[in-house]
Amino acid sequence: MFDLLIQGFAAVLSPQIFLLMVAGVAVGIVFGAVPGLTAVMAIALCLPMTYSLGPAAGISLLIALFVGATSGGLISAILLKIPGTPSSIATTFDGGPMMEKGEGAKALGVGIVFSFLGTIASIAALAFIAPSLASVALSFGPHEYFAIAVFSLTLIATLSSGSMAKGIFAGVLGFAVSTVGIAPVDAITRFTFGQVELNAGFSILTVLVGMFAVAEIIKVAETARSPITAPPAAMVKIKGFGFSMAEFLGQIPNATRSALIGIGIGILPGIGAGTSNIIAYIAAKKRSKTPEQFGKGTIEGVVASETANNAGIGGAMIPLLTLGIPGDAVTAIMLGGLMIHGIQPGPMLFLTQAPLVYTIFAALIVSAFLMLVLEFWGLRIFIRLLAIPKHILLPVILVLCAVGAFGLASRVFDIWTILAFGVLGYAFVKAGIPTAPFIIGFILGPMAETSFRRGLQLSRGDFTGFLTNPISGTFLALAVVSIAWQLYGEYRATRGPVGDNPLKLGGEE
Amino acid sequence: MRLKDVIVGLAMTGAGIGYLGMAAALPAKDGVDAATVPFVLAWMMIGLGLIELFGASRRQAAAGQAAEWGGALTVVLTLLLIAGFIVALRPLGFPIATALYLFLQFMVLAPRAGRPPVALYAGLAASVAAVIFATFRYGFDLLLPAGPLVAWLN
Repeated sequence: MFDLLIQGFAAVLSPQIFLLMVAGVAVGIVFGAVPGLTAVMAIALCLPMTYSLGPAAGISLLIALFVGATSGGLISAILLKIPGTPSSIATTFDGGPMMEKGEGAKALGVGIVFSFLGTIASIAALAFIAPSLASVALSFGPHEYFAIAVFSLTLIATLSSGSMAKGIFAGVLGFAVSTVGIAPVDAITRFTFGQVELNAGFSILTVLVGMFAVAEIIKVAETARSPITAPPAAMVKIKGFGFSMAEFLGQIPNATRSALIGIGIGILPGIGAGTSNIIAYIAAKKRSKTPEQFGKGTIEGVVASETANNAGIGGAMIPLLTLGIPGDAVTAIMLGGLMIHGIQPGPMLFLTQAPLVYTIFAALIVSAFLMLVLEFWGLRIFIRLLAIPKHILLPVILVLCAVGAFGLASRVFDIWTILAFGVLGYAFVKAGIPTAPFIIGFILGPMAETSFRRGLQLSRGDFTGFLTNPISGTFLALAVVSIAWQLYGEYRATRGPVGDNPLKLGGEE
Repeated sequence: MRLKDVIVGLAMTGAGIGYLGMAAALPAKDGVDAATVPFVLAWMMIGLGLIELFGASRRQAAAGQAAEWGGALTVVLTLLLIAGFIVALRPLGFPIATALYLFLQFMVLAPRAGRPPVALYAGLAASVAAVIFATFRYGFDLLLPAGPLVAWLN
């Protein structure tokens, strides 16, 4: 294992890959910091640049963007009181008041250091859990994969934001869109309307770029002409880390608990960092000796939120690398990026491409260090970049998304596809339908259908095979429990006073 | 009854019915075939659409919200510009189509306060288009369409 890790570091620390990662983390931080720009956009933007790079360089760049964008949200959360990404929502609760009290530097220092520690903790979990899980997953057959896909779909559809009917509908529609092209098992062409370009179905990347990046651009277009209301970001000078060693040591239990919450939630499909930061914040408040200070500007709140959201990075990579199941939109686009480079995530990845897996681990560690360094010494530059007008930035991003789509197969058809899915994504926003279940339905749909039909072939048409297999039976039961739990929650919500459900806040990147 | 929710519910049900119609046109075989999963999905979409419609009929209508026609117009113009950009990509080539698109899009999205800096936007659009084209064509070997400029670029 350590030989492979050293090999991974050697690859990542080569001058070309290292420079790419520096750029990747910096771009990621900017995308995380600017409200309205997302990690998915950052990755979509840089994907075409990776086409001509090798797998190690390409994947390292994508990881650097992922780490940078997840952490970058804290900058605007503290300086502007606007979360740059959903993963920094809870950071605003105490980061904003700390800024108002003149403790902005301390809040940023705490946020940056504990973001780093959360990332490192999650990478350790990834490095130890993923290989073991992959070896277990090697014995999985179609029954197990079908049940895991169904469980993931129900979890995502029921726990993402919005009503349950709309969430499930989004997942089902995503699944339906994935049925375009050649059907598994009997190779019948479905819903192609004679278009040869549709024989292979829609590319994951065009769907993702359309639903997230293009839809966001259309959404911003709606309000772009209105006068700007966001306050200008204040300049903050950090001396040292901005907090004392006693304060740091006092936060270790809070950080440990938050990291465990972040990793645990990150592993579950669909409930990403958008939810974990809020749950960690609530847990920290409940366990705190001074809960009355929460919301008024305490470092405990910033530590909980920032440790948990970054701990989700390694957590989300666990199902992605071991089972090929992305937990959220960011890991979904990472999956697309891996597949472009001929890498099929799943348990076999650990056997056939072990050096690459450890290069990914090394890239995560190096990105975490780069994030720490760049956020401290590059903070002034990032603050200035917050001021770039959106009406300039977003059209440029759209052009780069078009380049990325065109680069997939040198077809203008793929650019039309991102526009079509952009319109669909915008319609989802207007209708209050969550986008994340659609994407996960689109990705897990083919896995569910292929496994379902192969499983039936194996059990000679007997449906009970899915229930009698212990692993698949357990996951199908969990799927039923997940739906029943949500139905019960909705029933209680309709009878009692309206309260905030922290789980409803996450799931969207 | 909330009109917006009713429209959403109808759209969800309509999508399910449309998908069901397309699934019915697939060649059928005995047992589980290529149409089985689409049929299940279509019925689920119809069922969820009806649930949403039922829920919408029980919800109180929201207080009157003024439609923001200015925003809707900007969205429509943006969509038309993107569509025009895609159509123009092959005949005009990437650099010209991109420069035109960016300039027009900057103008459409520019804040209402004050006159937009036309010369700045034109220069920015042309230089961004040139930088992206050169970066991808020469830096990353991605053969973006050159259009009429092909004779000068090869």
